Amino acid sequence: MREILRVENLHKYYGELYVLKGINLHLDKGEVLVVIGPSGSGKSTMLRCINHLEEYQGGKIYFEGKLINPKSGDINRIRTKIGMVFQHFYLFPHLKVLDNLILAPVKVLGMSKEEATEKAKRLLERVGLLDKIDAHPINLSGGQQQRVAIARALMMDPDIMLFDEPTSALDPELVYEVLAVMKDLARSGMTMIVVTHEMGFAREVADRLIFMDGGRIITEAPPEEFFSHPKNERMKEFLDHILNI
Amino acid sequence: MAYQLQVLLENFDYLLLGSVITLKITSIAVLMGLFIGTFVGMGRLAKSKLLSYPSAIYVEFLRGTPLLVQIFLIYYGLPSLGVNLKAFPAAVIALGINSGAYVAEIVRAGIQSVAKGQYEAARSLGMTHSQAMRYVILPQAFRNILPALGNEFIALLKDSSLVSVIGITELMKSGQIVISRTFASFSIYGGVALIYFAMTFTLSRIVRHVEKRLAVA
Repeated sequence: MREILRVENLHKYYGELYVLKGINLHLDKGEVLVVIGPSGSGKSTMLRCINHLEEYQGGKIYFEGKLINPKSGDINRIRTKIGMVFQHFYLFPHLKVLDNLILAPVKVLGMSKEEATEKAKRLLERVGLLDKIDAHPINLSGGQQQRVAIARALMMDPDIMLFDEPTSALDPELVYEVLAVMKDLARSGMTMIVVTHEMGFAREVADRLIFMDGGRIITEAPPEEFFSHPKNERMKEFLDHILNI
Repeated sequence: MAYQLQVLLENFDYLLLGSVITLKITSIAVLMGLFIGTFVGMGRLAKSKLLSYPSAIYVEFLRGTPLLVQIFLIYYGLPSLGVNLKAFPAAVIALGINSGAYVAEIVRAGIQSVAKGQYEAARSLGMTHSQAMRYVILPQAFRNILPALGNEFIALLKDSSLVSVIGITELMKSGQIVISRTFASFSIYGGVALIYFAMTFTLSRIVRHVEKRLAVA
């Protein structure tokens, strides 16, 4: 397997608050990594650092073998290769679904409008929302908005997709439709890092799981081992809570 | 009273000519104010102090000094620095840069009203800062601030009466000229007020209409 992402000794402070205390991570092409952990453990911050939406104070991040220099303009090009899906979707409310999808490919990649529109139709079909192509985000349900957001990220042909609690803001009955799209994506070979509390999804789709607590990675294991032999008290406690609601 | 009314009717055409000048000055100043205000408003939010400080000084100074003084400064003051402006451009510039300061504050608030996640979503798709501002943040910001901008344009239209002091025959000055000839102060100032009102009311309707059209279903 070819390594696509490597994080070395990542440290992050929010002012005085020490959020990430030396994160080491690697990801191979096609791998699905699921990150779980209590809130405030640094899961989202780690994702946001990988995409450089957050500055970090120490450590190195390599993408496709090359060290990312946060200060260089390269970051815009790298971001086109790293898709991001947010908890609150962040569709552009002033644009129709189609325009949400084609904006970045046209403006950033210089794709023609016709080509982008064709591609948008294919991706909307894939997430089951072709009929919403002319709708505004406000007229979609949360689950539909998140599926559009996934399609929007896929428009850039990313090499990795980052999911930051993609179903946490959804009504329970809408969660499955988003998870179904994500499963489909994982099966198609997409490299993914998913921060989630959906243990069923993790068990079924993850190649590897990470448990984070207090800004550190506590455990890293394949799903079988991860769930059957929790190595750490804090993790056992967390899993007990989340699995036996 | 009959005399007053007769004077107003006889001079109404003349007042309308003045109001055309008022509209001209106001519309150019509005565009100038929007242009300046958009950049100064973004400047105030810039991380770089090289941008944010001058923007803050611009806003504070122009908001903190009377428009009348600014008009005099540009029309009577600048010639001593070798810059001679005719009354019309001087008036437009004074109103435009003054309005720019108010628009800048409105634009700043508008940008801040758009969720931070919108900017991050745009950047995560590979857009540069400018692309994110242009295609994602500003369109939403302008939709949010339209009512405030409408207010500002109405205020600007009314404030344009101040440029009568540097001899521009806009609506206010036209009225004064008629009164100096006819002494019909009540009907002429009344007529002037009505014409201003007709213009501001129309403007506020237009803004309302645009607001409705931009509102998403």
